Amino acid sequence: MTNMIETHHLTKQYSDFTAVSDLNLHIKKGRIHGFLGPNGAGKSTTMKMFLGLTKPTDGSFEINGKMFPKDRQQILREIGSLIESPAFYGNLTGEENLEIIRKILNLPKRFVKDALETVGLYEYRNRLAKKYSLGMKQRLGLAGALIGKPPILILDEPTNGLDPAGIHEIRTLIRSLPQTYDCTILVSSHLLSEMELLADDVSILNHGRLLFEGTLSELKQYAVHAGYPVENLEETFLSIIEEDNLKRGGKR
Amino acid sequence: MNVSLEMKKLKRTGFYPAFLFGAVLAAAIPILQTAFRAEYFTNQLLPGLEILLGANWQMLAMLNVFFLVIGACMMYHIEFADRAIQKMESLPLSAGRVFAAKCFILLGALLFVILIEAVSIAFCTIHWFSAGQNFVQELFQIFGFEWILMVPAVILMMMVASLCRNMWISLGIGVICIFTVTILPHENLILSFFPFSLPFQSLPDAHDSLHVSSYLAASCTETALFGILEALIIRVRRNCA
Repeated sequence: MTNMIETHHLTKQYSDFTAVSDLNLHIKKGRIHGFLGPNGAGKSTTMKMFLGLTKPTDGSFEINGKMFPKDRQQILREIGSLIESPAFYGNLTGEENLEIIRKILNLPKRFVKDALETVGLYEYRNRLAKKYSLGMKQRLGLAGALIGKPPILILDEPTNGLDPAGIHEIRTLIRSLPQTYDCTILVSSHLLSEMELLADDVSILNHGRLLFEGTLSELKQYAVHAGYPVENLEETFLSIIEEDNLKRGGKR
Repeated sequence: MNVSLEMKKLKRTGFYPAFLFGAVLAAAIPILQTAFRAEYFTNQLLPGLEILLGANWQMLAMLNVFFLVIGACMMYHIEFADRAIQKMESLPLSAGRVFAAKCFILLGALLFVILIEAVSIAFCTIHWFSAGQNFVQELFQIFGFEWILMVPAVILMMMVASLCRNMWISLGIGVICIFTVTILPHENLILSFFPFSLPFQSLPDAHDSLHVSSYLAASCTETALFGILEALIIRVRRNCA
């Protein structure tokens, strides 16, 4: 299986700390890749580097065979993204917000309606985005990522702010995307149980370092072999992080 | 340039009504002033246009610079308020072209205000005085000169607005720049090249002091300089992010 995203010793260093350290990541085409890690592990920084929002200090990455920064514009054309909290123009309606993105991407008009319907916002398309609830803003952000059916989706905590029904709905939607849109998804979440239901492959990051990369069954095998609990992903994850922190001198 | 896209982003921000209201307010000043002081003005021996410009120019220029500051602040406030700028940065869109489109819109809005002001001055001249032979041409030259001298201030203010996430900071900087103009000595040529001072220079005064070409050269140089500076800022921001 070919890799849609590949990083080679990717590093991001700020003046006083290393956010991402020597990361070698392989995200396979047509899969949902879960990005796991505690706060400050470097998940968002890595995603921002893929979008050119943050410049790597060292290393490189390629997306769909295109190198950054040489093919930045082409890479951005192929990525739909939702980073941290949704970003939008509060003075515009949901539909107008998507219309702006549609025009930048030079897409046909019907894509706006498609995206609104996909995330269940079509009914509220004429409401100002600033008047949306947090869940609706999150859906709008997701619609902005989905518009144009990009081959790669980068979603940073896409279920943030959603109620349980909304989480279930968005999870079902994301789960269906690789088949319906033929896309690859990189998704981060703090909800580990969520990731268990969503992802095909997972990467675990701690203090910018990659601790594990593979399928969920490989993670279970790894956990059994290393003596970690395997009852659920949350316990496995916490044990891996705990041990890494101890190795690093008790740093949490 | 994505001018139409940037114009759409300004919907419901109050940008367009602000400039429309501002233009009407600015146009009302010469008319009201001449109406209330008609006798004083018409008894002077100078040409009508010169009297009107002498009486109203500073106030009109002050309003224009004030609109410029407010317009620039509004244009970038919508980008920062709900983090829309982050979404824009993750799309295949050049930050330089967005900046240029915003400058273009602000210059267009200021051109509209200046045109309304010119119409107001033209009305006063025709109504209370007599228009000379090349009146229309002269009027266009005067207000065209004013518009060209506003370009550096527009780029500088847009640059400030694009750097400040908090609109009140960019607004504060703009207001300080306006107040700086009021304390600078008017007779000093070098100090009048300060970008916010340039719009206060009127063509007849510049003609009298033989500084027309100096002001135009200063405007062009500052425009190029701030344009290059903005391009550098965009590059540095991307590299240091």
